[in-house]
Amino acid sequence: MKVAVKVLPKSEVLDTQGRAVQNALKQQGYDLKECRIGKYIVIDVDTDSEKTALKEAEKMAQAVLHNNLIETYEIDVL
Amino acid sequence: MELKNKLKAYRLSEEEYKKISNLLGRAPKGVEWALFSALWSEHCSYKSSKVHLKKLFKQSPRVVVAFGENAGVVDLGQGERVAFKMESHNHPSFIEPYQGAATGVGGILRDIFTMGARPVALANYLCFGPTDSDRMPYLIDGVVSGISGYGNCVGVPTITGQTEFHRSYKNNILVNALAVGLFEEGDRVFLSKAEGQGNHIVYVGAKTGRDGVHGASMASESFDEDSESKRPTIQIGDPFFEKLLIESCIDVMKQDLVVAIQDMGAAGLISSSFEMASKGGVGFDIWLDQVPLRDTSITPEEILLSESQERMLLVCEPEKLEALQSVFHRWGLDATVIGEITTRKKIRLFWHDELLTDIDPDLLVEEAPEHTRPFEPWQPAHRVDTVREIGLKIKKASETLNGILTSQQGKSRAWVFRQYDQRVGANTVYDCEVGIGAIRLPRTNRALGLALGCRPQVMRFDAAEGAKDAVFLPALELAAKGFEPIAVTDCLNFGNPERLEIMSEFVATTRNVSLACESLVTPIISGNVSLYNETDGENITSTPSIGMIGLRSHLEKLPKEHFTEEKQKIYLVRSVQLTTGGQLQEDQDETTYGTGQIVPTKAAEFVNSILYIANGAGVTSSKVVGKYGLAYALARMCKGDIGCEVYVVGKNLALAKDEDLFLEHFYEVLFVVEQKHSGDFELRLKQKKLDFFMIGQTIKNEFKIDRSIQMKLKNLSEAYESPFVEDAK
Amino acid sequence: MNKVGVLRFPGTNCDRDIWQAVETVKAKPEWLWHTDRFGWKDYKALVIPGGFSYGDYLRTGALAAMSPVMKSLKEAIDHGVPVIGICNGFQILCEARILPGALLRNEKLKFQDKWVQVKVENNKIPWSANFEKNRKVRLPIAHGDGRYYADSETLKKIEDRGQVWCRYLDNPNGSLNDIAGVVNDKGNVVALMPHPERAIFDWMGSNDGIGFFNWL
Repeated sequence: MKVAVKVLPKSEVLDTQGRAVQNALKQQGYDLKECRIGKYIVIDVDTDSEKTALKEAEKMAQAVLHNNLIETYEIDVL
Repeated sequence: MELKNKLKAYRLSEEEYKKISNLLGRAPKGVEWALFSALWSEHCSYKSSKVHLKKLFKQSPRVVVAFGENAGVVDLGQGERVAFKMESHNHPSFIEPYQGAATGVGGILRDIFTMGARPVALANYLCFGPTDSDRMPYLIDGVVSGISGYGNCVGVPTITGQTEFHRSYKNNILVNALAVGLFEEGDRVFLSKAEGQGNHIVYVGAKTGRDGVHGASMASESFDEDSESKRPTIQIGDPFFEKLLIESCIDVMKQDLVVAIQDMGAAGLISSSFEMASKGGVGFDIWLDQVPLRDTSITPEEILLSESQERMLLVCEPEKLEALQSVFHRWGLDATVIGEITTRKKIRLFWHDELLTDIDPDLLVEEAPEHTRPFEPWQPAHRVDTVREIGLKIKKASETLNGILTSQQGKSRAWVFRQYDQRVGANTVYDCEVGIGAIRLPRTNRALGLALGCRPQVMRFDAAEGAKDAVFLPALELAAKGFEPIAVTDCLNFGNPERLEIMSEFVATTRNVSLACESLVTPIISGNVSLYNETDGENITSTPSIGMIGLRSHLEKLPKEHFTEEKQKIYLVRSVQLTTGGQLQEDQDETTYGTGQIVPTKAAEFVNSILYIANGAGVTSSKVVGKYGLAYALARMCKGDIGCEVYVVGKNLALAKDEDLFLEHFYEVLFVVEQKHSGDFELRLKQKKLDFFMIGQTIKNEFKIDRSIQMKLKNLSEAYESPFVEDAK
Repeated sequence: MNKVGVLRFPGTNCDRDIWQAVETVKAKPEWLWHTDRFGWKDYKALVIPGGFSYGDYLRTGALAAMSPVMKSLKEAIDHGVPVIGICNGFQILCEARILPGALLRNEKLKFQDKWVQVKVENNKIPWSANFEKNRKVRLPIAHGDGRYYADSETLKKIEDRGQVWCRYLDNPNGSLNDIAGVVNDKGNVVALMPHPERAIFDWMGSNDGIGFFNWL
């Protein structure tokens, strides 16, 4: 079962990539208030149970996929 | 909140609180707590070390600026001046290694370009715990990636470095970053002292966020609420932003649009504004509500304490403001007026209409406490009377050498330095493969050398000897390549200064580093102190890391680090005052023993003699014998298909046993000389009355020392070049 | 006329190195800022230096490829003006679809600084006219995103048309077909990942790089 782990920088942490792209987009004439950039990680967990898939992904997110000092994450079943 | 808790939250002692109250004539109020907490901290005030740092040898005719400014500046003659400094970022790197190391590089670069010099070289000195200790591979990988990510992007080459491993750094890794900057002819050296009544105080660079702000020093009442969002926020560095800052600041300085400039480093806006005002003997009116913010919920105290990166504070005349702002806008940066200079020598901080404080900057800068922590006079340690009594024992020389080449301490650091851009700038003469770094001085085609010093193992043997070695070894490395040692910067990394034994090491170290520098006439022109590197009662090895610059008058015939051709003669040149069992004895028994001591005047004389020898015709390569002794030094000189065949036992070297191939003598230098020039070379050695031995010659494909060691070169390099941390497959 | 335009984007950091190389061969370098426009006849040749334009954010070269100066560059290219992109310059030209393919993260995922040997396979273009065919040159690389990639159809096309400009003798980053540099189908735009401007004088470690600039 596939789950998506979305990792974003925490709101109070400076997102250097987001800032650079935000400025570049504005320079190109696009209208936007903010841009934040993170990672979208798709994991295919070896199970048919949604509950198990979410639990496993949660463990992976905690241990490996995000740095809890500077990032937050969300998990959705795909 | 109770006074005791508040003192703890703001890290002030009762004694300091009394002093503050005396100076103010009342108790501190509001943001004043944050001001004193920041500026009277160990990091900003150097309270435990100042009294000893004052005694350091810091002057010579070449010195333009020494201490008191962001970096030291030295005049190299012919219109060329350099600024350089080393700084530590130990604690943040232990918490978040990538960003800790990255922001360490960013900070030291700002200290350089804020003087008006373009950064031209970086170096780093790293100390880790053993690679199998908890979290260590993650820390090593993070630190190296952070330095690489920041330095490469900002476009300054990393040309040399040193990486050490020992269990004392397990919970307190060390990340020291060094930067060198170049002034072109006619460039002014910019100082941080503010002047000119009515001049604008301008904030340039990134918006201010909560980076580095500690929840504990927040306003007392809200200590329990919102504690999640007020947790210390990791400082994030942006090398792209820094590059924009470097170019725009150099631009405005060249166009003479700036009166004074300072970077916002530790304690951000507080330290920069208070130091600029105090130095200039002027007052500032600062409107904190004008400070560009990343998040509008930030409080005035947080603004003051923020350590958001890539920000500068500068002073400019009103009529030059427009021109100044247009330069920054071209580079995509904002330059915002946040205050002005007043004649009353007081700093007034405003938050909209509210006056938060009206305070004399000297109270925070000049009146910061100075402690004379107790210490004991130094006693030589781990001494024996003769070389034999050192008691180093090995089984087979070739096995021992192989073990060294594959050990953490002994193996190649290529895994580290291949991640650094060593050549951006197109001026790199010696890269990380050579024992010293060097860049070309473009105007005069001379070369500027950079060498790092301090061997923690020698410090553990005897801090006084380790301190002298921290200066003499890099001096010798520079001299052996034909560079004259010029000046020094240092990073004094120590444990808890409130402990008698640590403070005693600190005093012995500063005294001996100074003595060594004085004998070489290499003044210490800038530096940094990092104390309290202690966890659960365990302190780091006292580590006074040294950065030394040297000058070579031309780029011709630069000696290489390795063997280049076969059939060249190998000489060992010595002046030995101290011999120890070295790193190998420590690896085996945890303790090193030795006999003798380094006498600064004699060591300095040796450095000068080696410099003379290195500049002679026919010298193709040179190398100072360092850790693990002669066998290891020779092994490391092998490259490609060129090795050597040497005979050392039985000669007047008094080497009788295989162990002697691994003893460490302070000092020995290897020179490789073309056959046809060997006669002249020996003449020069005799001219300087140097002790020397022609020990053998370079040959193809093999590495041989007497009958003790015989290895094929292929096996040698395989052992040496295995990585520290496994790469992705 | 030997004016050479050197493009600069926010974050470009090998610009002064290119200036130095161009001056060494006695041509006249001029800066072109990312917001500038210029006429296609203004320059004998144009260089896009290496570095980290826009910090390599989003994708390397992606943000620079959108800059106003690229419009003038494209016009000059259409008129046959010789252009070279080095390292980040290569990445920018690929993002701008002026050159085929893309540069991805190095195979071993780490930034790599080392000396490599490269074979110059196509010497029918000004930038390598000074080399005999298949001449080997020693140049330094310094990049984290140097792995050349193109889909199999594109790869076949560039191989068949002789659009592979340089090839690694010892592939350091996993580039397909060991490709170190390519040339466009018209033959006036080239790019490579190694840095010839860092191999101009002996003391730099190699002077093989000067051969790329001599024709200016």
